[in-house]
Order: sequence, then structure tokens, then C-alpha cells
Amino acid sequence: MGYHNTYNSQSQMIALVDCNNFYASCERVFRPELEKKPVVVLSNNDGCVIARSNEAKKIGIKMGEPAYKRKEEFKKYNVNVFSTNFALYGDMSSRVMSILKKNSKDIEIYSIDEAFLDCQDGDLDKYAKTLSKKVKKWTGIPVCVGIAETKVLAKLANQIAKKHTKSGVFILQKKEIIKKVLQKTAVEDIWGIGTRSAMLLNSYGINTAYQLICIDESWIRKKLSIVGLRIVHELKGIACLPLENKKQIKKNICTSRSLGKPTSDYNQLSQAVSTFAARCSEKLRKQESATTEIRVFLYTNPFNTKQKQYYGNIALKLSQATNDNQTLIKEALRGLKIIYKKEYIYKKAGVIVSKIIPKNQVQLNLFEDAKNTGKYQKISNVFDVINNNMGKDTIKIATQGFDSSWKMKQEQLSPSYTTRIEDILTVKI
Amino acid sequence: MKLSKKNIENKVSFHSFKQLNLDEIKLAEPLVPAGFPSPADDFIEMEINIQDYIVKNKEATFCVKVEGTSMTKAGINTGDIMIVDRSLNPKHNDIVLAVIDGEFTVKRLAVNNESIYLMPENDSFSPIQINESMDFQIWGIITHIIHKAR
Repeated sequence: MGYHNTYNSQSQMIALVDCNNFYASCERVFRPELEKKPVVVLSNNDGCVIARSNEAKKIGIKMGEPAYKRKEEFKKYNVNVFSTNFALYGDMSSRVMSILKKNSKDIEIYSIDEAFLDCQDGDLDKYAKTLSKKVKKWTGIPVCVGIAETKVLAKLANQIAKKHTKSGVFILQKKEIIKKVLQKTAVEDIWGIGTRSAMLLNSYGINTAYQLICIDESWIRKKLSIVGLRIVHELKGIACLPLENKKQIKKNICTSRSLGKPTSDYNQLSQAVSTFAARCSEKLRKQESATTEIRVFLYTNPFNTKQKQYYGNIALKLSQATNDNQTLIKEALRGLKIIYKKEYIYKKAGVIVSKIIPKNQVQLNLFEDAKNTGKYQKISNVFDVINNNMGKDTIKIATQGFDSSWKMKQEQLSPSYTTRIEDILTVKI
Repeated sequence: MKLSKKNIENKVSFHSFKQLNLDEIKLAEPLVPAGFPSPADDFIEMEINIQDYIVKNKEATFCVKVEGTSMTKAGINTGDIMIVDRSLNPKHNDIVLAVIDGEFTVKRLAVNNESIYLMPENDSFSPIQINESMDFQIWGIITHIIHKAR
């Protein structure tokens, strides 16, 4: 197994920087009166709780809980409820990530609120504290930093930083401390060990991370495959998971939403589906790729048992790989027509593009007019330029429509403080 | 290509340019139709970038709109947009966006002998002395004020 020592020398250390209660913290930056008060953020359509401030956690509000179940508590404890404001969270995230990037050798942006950094050995404690202070000061977002020799250990260090330190910084480096931490870590809490693997390990009496690293490696390889073995190596301090900093091309792109109001109206559905297809084509162009297959689906509300249930779904092959919005909308609507049945009330619709290839590998179809393809491409580019500069859907294809009753419910949406000039924070002085 | 500092301090200014980097210079269109070339061609691409001039630390810079009259003498009026830089350390005489007991305010910061005051710039308002019972923090430093002249 030669890969042990391929990746790095001993001096490399990895930091995991994780924003605390990120969405809730973003809202608070512009509403300082909410400091120390319970704040929750709800998912699309104001459905479930997806972020909680520490105060909201203390009340006992759980992650993923449906909001309607907690209405009374929200009232009783004066919980400040927000709809998801992705324009704001996206901008705040890019500010945080940009600071992290400028203060590290290398970065892997792992999610909207987490990044792995390559930091050289040195005064790590001082480095981490300076960095977290800087992020807090510059952006208002509090972060925790965990540093260790590998990503899996850094993840553990970050959990400790979050739960057990005041500074929000923890360096997991000393052998005897690592041993103690591993003894106290349940296998299901290890990053990269899924629920099923954890259950399997438990059934063999392996409950802690420390027990896991004491087992014969060939057994692990047999039971958890090479992927599991890598995690175990990482727990032992052998780095096997390098930072992935290259943007990977997504193989599937899905745009779907629960409809603001369930509907059986074909016009509304076709507007929604057109918009989803347009969004997919934007995403394809952004990653400079094209698709050869588009799938459209719709379904009724599975939780409403009184209604007749239906799940309609169709995949259409495209004669030539494309990313232009006109073709994709046309195809999506063709699909919708086939699967639409007027007797049902639909709750959700979506468009998925798959079989994605890099744009420069698109082969021209013998029967397609190359001139036309170029023309569509140019038109799509114009769409992107205008919509990027002047706001989403400034120009759109007419089938996307103007009636937006299908759009998501966002009753508690905060202003896009950082991305729209008409929404910037106003202060009374 | 930034405005030179010296000239900014005078109100009317000519602008000078920072040393040009060869990479930044775009070559003129290679195809020149017959006729006398425009003498302005040599100056193509020398544009002023207001964003670069105003925003020094992109990650820490926010725009905030003003409503109220407490700072009119400092040239801050209702409807103006203030550029706020969170990365700067506050010092005496800065105009700051502060938070007192959860509420935003904009005032001039005055620090003397260990007491901190927030000074309005309008005679009909009184200074605020910061004391320990207040929850006080400085959100950011105002670096520019954008005022529409018409």
C-alpha cells in the first residue's frame, strides 16, 4: 500500500474552519439586536428548521424540524424566524472564504460554511486564533478552527473547538491527546463513516474511534473497502485525503422546488418548468459544460393521503449536447406535456440535466445547423451578461412567465443587504 | 491606475496614473481603416475604477444607507450611502457605525483619558458618553460617503 507516504511530509497540518450557526449568524450581522436571542432559519418554502442560534438550540428546537410543529414555541420564546436568504449567505460565505484563502497556502472550500486549509507547522494556536479573530472582525461571522495532521482528525478537532473551548480553537497534535479523543469518539461521529458502516462496526463490538484504529487493517479493508481504510489511516495521522481545490464538474444538475401553492394548472407548471430549465442551463454555462439528457418530473404531495397520488417523470435525449436556454426550455416543455395529467394536484416539479460533458468536447451533429448552434450560444451568453449584472431573470424566455404564484414561500425573508443596492442596511442616525 | 493621493486632497484634481504594467495595456485593434488614426487611441483603457478607489478591503466592506440628521455637519445626509470598512481599527476622530444596546448609530468617535464619546455633528443633538452599563461595539469605520448631487 504505497499510498501512505505519497501525499505529504510531516510538517503539513490541516485546519478545518467552520462558521458557527452560519445562516443564523449572517442574519445577526445586520440585526445586532438579535445578539444573544434565539434565531432560526427555515428551508425553502419555510418548511423546516435548517439553522439555529445557540439560544434556539437551548430551547430544544431541533435541526430539520418542520416549522409548523414549533409555532407555539417560536411565539412563547420570541424566536426570530427567517426564510433562507441565499443571496446574503452566498455573499457572506465568499467573503469568509476569500479571507481564508488569503491566509493559507491552499484551501478546499468544502461547503458554504466550511473550508479545509493547508497550514504549515509553526505556532498553530496563534495562527488559528489570529485567523478566527480576523474573520469575525472583518465579516461579523464567528468561526471555530480545528487543526490536526489529517482532514478526518481536523474535523474532530473542530468539533472539540466548538463544544469544549471558549476560544473556538483546538489543536489536536499531541499523541496522548489524540488517543484520549479517539477513545471518546463514537464511530458514527467520525467524518466519512456513514450510518450503515457505523452499525456494521457496532455489530462487531467496535464502538469508538480508538477501537477502530486498533483493528487489523486487512479486516477493515474487507468490511469497509479502501474508502473506509483511508478514513482509518487518517485517524492514525496518515494523510490520505488531499485538499481538493479544483472545481469539479457536476455530473448532474437538478433544479426543483416545492410549488408555493399546489396546483394542477398547466400554465403555472410550464412557467415553473421553464424557469427550472433556464436555471439548469445557467448552471451548465457557469461550469462550462453541456448536457445530452434532460429529465422533467412532477409529483403530488405524498403526505396528503386524501389526494390521488401521481409521480410523472421522463428523460429526453438531446440530439446534440447543449447548454443554451432556448433548446433546454423547449425540450423540458416537451417532456412536461407528455407527463402532465390534469386530474392531479402537483406539489413539486423539477428539471434534471445529466450526462454532462465539458463544453469543448461537444460534437456537432451531422443534421444540426452549426450556424444556428452558434447563434443560440451567443444569445445565451447575452442572457448571462444581463442577468449577472442586473439581477436574476431581468431578461428571460417568455414561457418562464410573469405569474409567480408557483414560486417559493419566503414570508420571513431578510433584505439582500450585501448584493442589492436597494436592499442595503439603513440606519437611523 | 489610481488617483494620486496628493491630488485628491485638493478638491479639483487632475489624475495621474500609477506605473503601467505592460500586461494591462491592450493593443489597439490591428485593423486600422484608412484615414488619420485618432490621437486618443494611445490612451485606450485608461479608465478610473471607482470601486478600486473606494474599496480597500473587499471582504470587510459594506454599504449602509443613512436616515437622519445627527451628522449633517459632517456631510452625512438622509439618503447618502456610506462605505463601511470593518477591517480598520477605530481611532479618535473616526466616523463610526456603532451599536449601542443593539441599535445602530453613526457618530464621530472621541476618545480622551479613558472615556469614550460618540459625538453628533448637529448642534441640536447631544454627545453620548459610553459607560459600562451600555452594550457598546463598533461595527465598522466609515471611509467614504456617497452623496447624490442631483
